[in-house]
Formats: sequence, structure tokens, C-alpha cells
Amino acid sequence: MHYRRPGLDRLSHALLAVCCLLFLLPVWLAFTASTHTLGALYSQTAPLWFGEAGWDNYRHLLSGSIGGLGTDVLTLLINSTIMALGIAIGKIAISVLAAYAIVFFDFPFRRLCFWLIFITLMLPVEVRILPTFEVVADLGLLDSYAGLILPLIASATATFLLRQFYLTIPPELVEAARIDGAGPWRFLRDILLPLSKTNLAALFVIMFLYGWNQYLWPLLITNDADYLTIVVSLKRLLTSADGLVPWQNVTATAVLAMLPPIAVILLMQRYFVKGLVDSEK
Amino acid sequence: MATLRLNGIRKCYPNGITALHGIDLDVGDGELMVVVGPSGCGKSTLLRTLAGLESITEGELTINDQRVNALEPAARDIAMVFQNYALYPHMSVFDNMSYALKNRGTPKDEIRRRVTETAQLLDLAELLDRRPRQLSGGQRQRVAMGRAIVREPQVFLFDEPLSNLDAKLRVQMRLEIRRLQKRLGVTSVYVTHDQVEAMTLADRLVVMNGGHVEQCGTPMALYERPATRFVASFLGSPAMNFLPVTAHRGGVVLPNGNPVALPVAIPEGRAATLGVRPEHLIEATSVADATEVLEVTVEMLEPLGADTLAYTRLPGLEEWLVVRLDGAHAAREGQRLSLAFSMAHCHVFDSQDARVPLADTEAQACQ
Repeated sequence: MHYRRPGLDRLSHALLAVCCLLFLLPVWLAFTASTHTLGALYSQTAPLWFGEAGWDNYRHLLSGSIGGLGTDVLTLLINSTIMALGIAIGKIAISVLAAYAIVFFDFPFRRLCFWLIFITLMLPVEVRILPTFEVVADLGLLDSYAGLILPLIASATATFLLRQFYLTIPPELVEAARIDGAGPWRFLRDILLPLSKTNLAALFVIMFLYGWNQYLWPLLITNDADYLTIVVSLKRLLTSADGLVPWQNVTATAVLAMLPPIAVILLMQRYFVKGLVDSEK
Repeated sequence: MATLRLNGIRKCYPNGITALHGIDLDVGDGELMVVVGPSGCGKSTLLRTLAGLESITEGELTINDQRVNALEPAARDIAMVFQNYALYPHMSVFDNMSYALKNRGTPKDEIRRRVTETAQLLDLAELLDRRPRQLSGGQRQRVAMGRAIVREPQVFLFDEPLSNLDAKLRVQMRLEIRRLQKRLGVTSVYVTHDQVEAMTLADRLVVMNGGHVEQCGTPMALYERPATRFVASFLGSPAMNFLPVTAHRGGVVLPNGNPVALPVAIPEGRAATLGVRPEHLIEATSVADATEVLEVTVEMLEPLGADTLAYTRLPGLEEWLVVRLDGAHAAREGQRLSLAFSMAHCHVFDSQDARVPLADTEAQACQ
């Protein structure tokens, strides 16, 4: 849509700018607060500009073990990255295969299978957390990466989204590939996956963020500080201090926790755009 | 080089619908067989069973006398050109054309040689790096052809390959396909619903209707001696005129009581249909025999340039009688015309819509 109304243009831009500022303010506050010393933070109201302790704060967090956590932030970041990557890649791998089977193969109870997968949308982690915990504990997966990743690895959402995309692929394309001698695996690798590049990139971002932001599940099954994730540790930092809450640590950890998701989004954004420009059905 | 033999091919779907009721066909080596029929007649299903995309319920399909019923499409050594081309959108023209060879494990330099050769043949050499979406409709069509040719298959299958092109390109590609097919000499089955395409391309023509083969033969044989009323109405444009008649004393009587002397063997008084093509209705100014002249009124004219189609009406008859007049004819709407039949080109169909041979004109012409 394009209207020739300069007034409206200016108004909408002003509105956008205000909203952006509103959303950015907490991030900015966290960032500035992370550069002050604890003493400075407690002696004044929330600082709007950088302090002098920024370098020391971050170096302290990344190098040494932090009080109350028993580990350094680098380990936390690595743990979270492993978990988020594992969940995102696992979800995509499983969903690609599930959707592939449901759309392109003719087997008994195909529709039933799809609906069974679909209704698991009604059972998020929180609802089935006790039995899941039981299973994971029985398998001896507490305090392990497998325990963090496996229970969250199936995704009805991704299966559904991929199914919808696969359904738009013209049947002639499948038949042409069959005549060209492409078996099921080859068709998946040579045709289906390249065609769904854009969708996979989008799903990867969504699923990575989902995995990164997990709180309840990692909180339940990890006691060992070596498997603690950064999102869980944020809350722990707030409560574990003996006296004053170490706000400079909390805000710096929060800022560090934001970086990988931002990196993933920026990286994948290129693929969306590339995919949108390149592919055509 | 291959021969293709269909022996009583039946196709029934699980929902109980029978798409093909026993098809028998022989396609000779290097022959271009065109299958034509209205939509839903089973022609596409037939092609898909040949390709192996649909299973065969009953009957036998052989390529070079080898039974291929149970073979996967890729193992039948056939290539298919689809109506919407079905090019792989994310692959370049080169990759599209070489995909089948790659899957077969053909050596790289052999692939390159064959693709380059085929691209030359189809005038695609400049386009090998493009993606399908960067090509025009005609170019995509040629890539689809190229993808089939590169494989050097035993049999080509064409599934209405020209129906997505505009009229001018269609005529051009029609000639191109004919030329290529003759040059490569590959046995081909070509499915279309367009009777002009069918007539012009075919070595032999199969007209299908309702899952049956109505008639099979050379285009001209089918045009001149259609076995059934369906074939007669399907081939030729504009379609053949059909008049309901009654058999009477060694001839037939038109609904308006006009007798027509035709040497036809139908029991006296039996209803029949008389078929005359628009081009076989001649203006009767020069014909002396007054009994076989129809007096009609021109109701509408369609000038096509070379010809003018006159939609005329015979008194006492519902249907139009379409007449093909010379383009220079000075007919006007509302004018009366006297038309004579060209006897040799009349067709009589009995009440079962099967053609009744005319005794003396045709006995020697029939094979």
C-alpha cells in the first residue's frame, strides 16, 4: 500500500521511533548498569550512562567462578548454546522426517499419525513435566546434555509448518524426480531440503530461541553447576547473594545472554532474504 | 529404439473407479503415437501407467518384449515431459538436465558432453546457467524436452506439453517436437486434448473415451472413416454436423422430409444419424440434382480469413448446420443458401453410434 500523505508518514514514523525507544530502554539500562560497580549502583538511581567498571565486570564474569553459581559465565553460555542448538537441530531433523513421511508416503493411518502429532501441541512441557522428569531420571539423564535436550526435541509446530510447505510442492515435481531416478533419500536431499531452505532457516531461529529461553526444565533436572544454563543462572544470581544483589553481575550476564540469540537472528536473516530472492515454486 | 506393447491394461482405483477398461495398443519402433480424448477419458492415467507412476491393475505392459509392470519409473528407461514442465526450481538448467544422469552414475565428462549436445540441439546453450524462473514459457518447455532427450531413453512420454503455451508458441513448438522426434527416432506416446495438435503430430492416433479406445489409426484414416460418432465429432474443427435421419428405401430421410440417396445398409424405418463435415457441404449453385439439396438460412457468420463459417439452420431442425464457405464468399446473415452433400464424405451412424459403411463408395477404400 502506498498513500501520498506526508503527514501520515511523519506520524507513523514518530510512533515507530517512540515504540523503539520504549523497547530499547530496558536493554539500554541493563547495558549501562553492567558497567558500574556494585557500590555505585546502590548509591544512585539507575544510571543512564556508562560507568568505569565495565571491563572489570565482564572479565570477572567470563574468567572466574561467580559466587553462588559455582561456575563462570562462559560455561553457562556454552551450556545454553549446546542445549539450544541441540533442541533446534533435533526439532528440525525430526520434523523434516515426520512431515516428509506424512506428506509424501502412503501408509495406513497416515492421517491419524498426523493428528496424533498435532494434538501434542496441547501438551506443553509444563503439563507433562512430572512424568517426563520421572522418565529422564530413570534413564539416568539428570545433569547431562542429553537430559536437557531430548525431552524437548519433538515439535508438532515445526512438523505442521513443514507439512504445510510440503503440501504446496507440485506432485509433478515428485514424479519427475522419481522418473529421474531419485529415491526417497535422494529426493529429500536434492530437492525437498534445498526448496525448504527458507522455512528451515526461520524454524531454526524460532526453535533456537525456544531452546535458549527454556527455564523450568533445565531448572528441574540440573543440580550440577557444570550443566547450568544461563537463563536459569540469572534467577539464581538474584537470590543467591548473601547481602546485596550483585546487580552489576546480573545485568552483565543478561547482556551476555542476549548475544547468541542476536547472532543467530542476524546470521539467519541473510538466509531468509536469500531464500526469498532465490527460490520459486 | 523400442517397441511398446499394451495388452489389456486395466486400471482400477481403490475407491472402485475404473479409469481404464482394458487397453490394447502397439506402438512401433520410432513411432509417435498420439492419445487424444476429452478430459476424464483416461488418457493421462494411461500415460501415467506407462510411466510407472500408477500401478497397473490388470494386463501387461512390455517395452521391447520385456514385461515392465512391476518396474520403478526410473528402471523403465522412459522420459516424461510434464504439462507444467516440473523443472526443479532451485537447480540451474544444466543441473535440471543432468539430474537423471547424475543419479544413474554417468561419468561427469559424459554428462557435460550430452547436456551440451542437447542444449545445442534445442538452442539452450546460452541458458545453461539460468534458473527455471528466469526463463520464458517456451524456454522452460524446451528445457523440459531437453531433460527428457539427454537421457536417451527408450520411450518418450508427453503429457500435454504444449497446453501452457500461448497459441503462436504452441504451433511453433508443435513443429519442433515433430522435427525432434523424427530426428531422434525415439518411440513416443503423446497425450493431448487438442485435436489439431493430435492430427498434426501423430503417426498414429488413438481416440479415447470413457476409459476405452474408440479408434486407432493414422490421422487421416480417422478423419475420413471415423468408426464411431464420438470419433467423428471429436476430430475436425469445427465439429461434424449431425442430422437425425430415418432409413428409407436405400437411403435416409432428413427430419424435414428431404430424402437423401445413400447406399447404406440399415433396416427400413430405423433411426440413424447422418454426419457431414462443414467442409463437405458445398454450395449447390452448380449441382443439378435437386433432391439432395438442402435449403438453409444463414443465421450467423464467423469470418476466419481464409474461410468463413456459416451457422445455418435447416427448417424443422434444432441444431445448427455449420458450413465452411470460402473466405471471399459474399454471404450475409439472413440469406438463404442451397447446399449439396458431398456423397463420398457422408457418414451414417446407427442407433449405437457405430459407423455404417457406405456400400459402394468405400468398399475399396477400406483397408
